[in-house]
This record gives sequence, C-alpha cells and structure tokens, in this order.
Amino acid sequence: MIWKRQIPIFIVAVVGAITLFGWFIDQPNIKSFVDDDATQWYDILASFAIILGALNLIKLQLQKVAKKKPGWPYSLVAIGGFIFAITAGFIVKGVDDSVAVWGAHVTTEGTVFKWMFDYMFTPLSATMFSLLAFFVASASYRAFRIRNFEATLLLVAGIIIMIGRVPIGSVISSWFIMYILVLALGIYVNSWKKDKMITFGVVGAGIAIVTIAGMLTGWPLDKPGIFYLPVIQEWIYYYPNVAGARAIMIGIGLGIFATSIRYILGIEKSYIGE
Amino acid sequence: MKDKQFWLILGGITLAFLIYWFAGHPFFNANRIFMFVAIVAIGSTLLYNIRMAERGEEFYLRPIPGLKAVEEAVGRSTEMGKPVLFVPGIMDMDQVETVAGVIVLGHVSKMTARYETSLNVPVSRSIVMKAAREACRESYMLEGRPDMFNDDMVHYLTDDQFAYAAGVNGIMIREKPAACLYMGKFYAESLILAETGNSIGAIQIAGTASQAQIPFFVTACDYTLIGEEFFAASAYLSKKPELIGGVRGQDMVKVVVISVIILASVLRFLYETWDIGFDVIKLLTVQ
Repeated sequence: MIWKRQIPIFIVAVVGAITLFGWFIDQPNIKSFVDDDATQWYDILASFAIILGALNLIKLQLQKVAKKKPGWPYSLVAIGGFIFAITAGFIVKGVDDSVAVWGAHVTTEGTVFKWMFDYMFTPLSATMFSLLAFFVASASYRAFRIRNFEATLLLVAGIIIMIGRVPIGSVISSWFIMYILVLALGIYVNSWKKDKMITFGVVGAGIAIVTIAGMLTGWPLDKPGIFYLPVIQEWIYYYPNVAGARAIMIGIGLGIFATSIRYILGIEKSYIGE
Repeated sequence: MKDKQFWLILGGITLAFLIYWFAGHPFFNANRIFMFVAIVAIGSTLLYNIRMAERGEEFYLRPIPGLKAVEEAVGRSTEMGKPVLFVPGIMDMDQVETVAGVIVLGHVSKMTARYETSLNVPVSRSIVMKAAREACRESYMLEGRPDMFNDDMVHYLTDDQFAYAAGVNGIMIREKPAACLYMGKFYAESLILAETGNSIGAIQIAGTASQAQIPFFVTACDYTLIGEEFFAASAYLSKKPELIGGVRGQDMVKVVVISVIILASVLRFLYETWDIGFDVIKLLTVQ
C-alpha cells in the first residue's frame, strides 16, 4: 500500500514544493532542476508511455476486426495506417544514406515518411481544421438567435465587432447609425407605451434632431465618434471584453493555485484514486 | 482567530522568515518578495479555511447548474441505455486542467458504476490514459463494482490534435452517447467536438480553463463550467469538507484581489495625476 499511497503523495509534495518555491531561490542547481531537469524527466516518461498508448490502440483495433464489431472496416484503415507509419519511420526510408540518414529522413524531401506527412497527414489534418468554418457558422446561428436580453446583447455586439473590423465598417457614417438608433428607440417606445402617436412623435423628433445636427456640422463620416462603428467596436473589444476576460483569468489563476496547493499538501488525493 | 494552532505555526514561520530576511537572506531572490508574500498569504488563507471546514464549520456553496447536471446526464444515459462519453482534453498530465479533468472523471465513473452505465474515455496522451484508468478503477472498486470495470473503457487514440478530434467524432457518430462531458484543456478542436455532440442530441457538459474555448463551449453545450467552477468541481461532487474549505478560501482571496485592484487603481490615479504616493504597478509587476 505504501507504494500506491504514501510514496506518490511524498513525490508530489516534494517536487511540487521545489517547483513552487524554486522560483524564489537564487541557486543555479535548483533553477536548472525546475527549468530543465523536471521537464526532461517528464518527457522521458512520456516517451516510454507512448508505447503503452500505441499498444492499446492496436489491440483495440485488432479486437474490433476480429470480433467484426460495428464499423470494423475503419479499424482496418487504422491498422493499415499504423503499420505504414511504423514502416516509413523505422524500416523503409525510400532514399540512400547519402541523401538522408535515419532520423533526418523524417524531414528530408523524397523519403517515404516525408511523402506520407506531406500528402496524407497534412491534408487530413487540414480537412479536419477546415470543418471548423462550418461548425462556427452553425454555432454562431444558435448563439445569435434572439431568445433573451443576453442573446440580443451578444448579437448586437457581434454584429458591431464584425462590421467594425472590415473595410466597409469605416465607410458607414455615424449619422446612419444614429438614424438606426432612432428607429430602434421607436420600436422600444412602441412596445412600451403601445401608442402610435407617442411612437410617431419620438421617431419624428429623433429624425429631426439628427438631421438638424447633421446639417449644422456638415455630416462628418466619423463624428460623433461614439456612433462610428470602428470606434464602437474598438471600445467593446478593449474595455468590456478585456474586463470580462481578466475576471475569468483571475478566477482561473486562483483555481489553478488552489488545486496546486491541495496537491502539494496532500489534501487532494483523487489522482491516486482516493 | 478560531484556530490557535494554525496561528502559532504561521507566526513561527513568519518569525523564522523575518530572522532569515534580516540575516541577509542568502539565495533568496529579493526582487520577488512581493510575489512570495502573496503566495504565502493566499496559501495560508486556503489552509485556514480547509482546517475550519475539517473542524465541522459549515460553508455555503453556490449551486452550480453544470455540476448538478452531471448526475442528471449519467441518469439520462442509463435510461436510454447509451454510453457516457468523457473527453479529458488533449493535453498531458503536466497541465493542471488535465489533472482537474481526471479528478472529475473519478467522480463521473463512480456515478456510471452506481447506475451500471457504460463509460467511454478516449484519451490523447498515454500518461493521461494510465492516470484516468487508475481513477476509474478506484471508483469502480469504491462503488463495489470492480466487475464492471475494464481497462479498455479508457483507451488511447492519438497524440495529434485533429486526428484525435476525428477519432472522438467517429465514436460519437457510431455509438451515439447520450451524454458527452468535456473536462480538460482544449484548443481548436473544442467546437468540432461540441458541435458533433450537439448534432447527435447528447446532453453536453463542458469544463475548461482554456479561455479562448469557453465561448465555443457555452454556445454548443448545455452547461459549461467556466474557469474556477471547473477547479471547484471536485469539492462540489465529493462534498469533502477539506475541499469545500478550499473553495471558500478561494472566494476570500478573490475578495482580497478585488480590494487590491480598487486600491491599486486609486493609488495609480493619485500617482499619475498629482504625483502622490508611489508607482504601485512597479510593486505589483512580476519580476
């Protein structure tokens, strides 16, 4: 039991404490342990562990094929890909030693491994990545549907950011935005008071005020700035957005610190199954 | 001031540090003293609250819908006779989010063991596979159902980000799990996974501290644990006093942080406008 409980907790506590407090200690050995050795140990462990992962993958795929489980032909593709990658990486280079020695062959043009990487792996990864465009569209549609006040706020902010960041945003006059706002105010007043005369009065007065102000100032495209889309989007992006993001960041930082402290002090022992 | 022993030890450590400091503090990076004091203060606050919780003091925990929904999601899977899919992110165990994800997996696997529901955990790192297996094995043992556990419920797919996303999507489309849980560190694959889960009609719960991915999860999932909520999940799900005390300690530190932000803003304003006081930014900047 001591190997599965006390020893892991002791290792976590010692290494965790050295890593945390090593940052404050001006001593080259501790510094090199924290910055280099500890991470290299982890890399070495991870390198050995990859064998476990690969064996697990191939075992499961072989089982699927042997038991003809649903979708087993896909497993044949996975096994084929696995064998091909191993062959290209360790057995067949495809070029002489004068062109590339073992090890360098993974990045040298003309080798089987590089061919596999350039013409199979990269296009497949790019295909998965490009799917994001469609997923972003469907997710945006759901997020921007007007269901409540928050969703409406998100929609308006999203539209302002999107239009304000493209060239067409800078040619939309702030006066045009003001007219739109007057009409939006009319909609709000109408749904609030439910009186055509009041709505008409508010919209009429608003249009008159904006028009007179525009005529007096000569309709400048970007004045007043608070109604100019590039200025509004910049404000949304740099103030409310950054404030929200930093609040989340502070919470995340505290969460990470509290979790680390719980590990170092052996309070949290879920990682060993307790 | 309810814990005399705590204050005595803290006082002793502070006194020892003061003696060390005035003795010339060899090997100590004096530029980082402010950070050191902050870390000791935050750590002490957390410890104090943990000890209070252990002594039986009861703390109120704000209900988090996402965590309440975890049991509901497992129950739904049981009723539908479909598996629960748990994705612990794409990073290794050196990331605290992955560790937090594996902790939540431990609690989820307890529920799947209790409800006799199948669990599928595809992972993208071999070390995560070993850790997740251990967490699941222990949970099934604790629930008295070691017969239901098998190593292959936690299985390795690939280290590559998009190949992993393709593999998990394939599992979703073929097995149609009733509940998909995403708890860990995610990058661009977050939306690919969550949208596919949405398309198969699964109840989806995500938890991550990857700031850029939170909006995607909020959009595509039914519940999202944002940042600190994700790290507090273990306390909420286990109801262990020592963990709940830690969450309360975090909240107290947050109050202090907010006070420091307000105070620093005032000091900065005074310094910038009338040259009164000192440059607080210099003091707070990590050296």
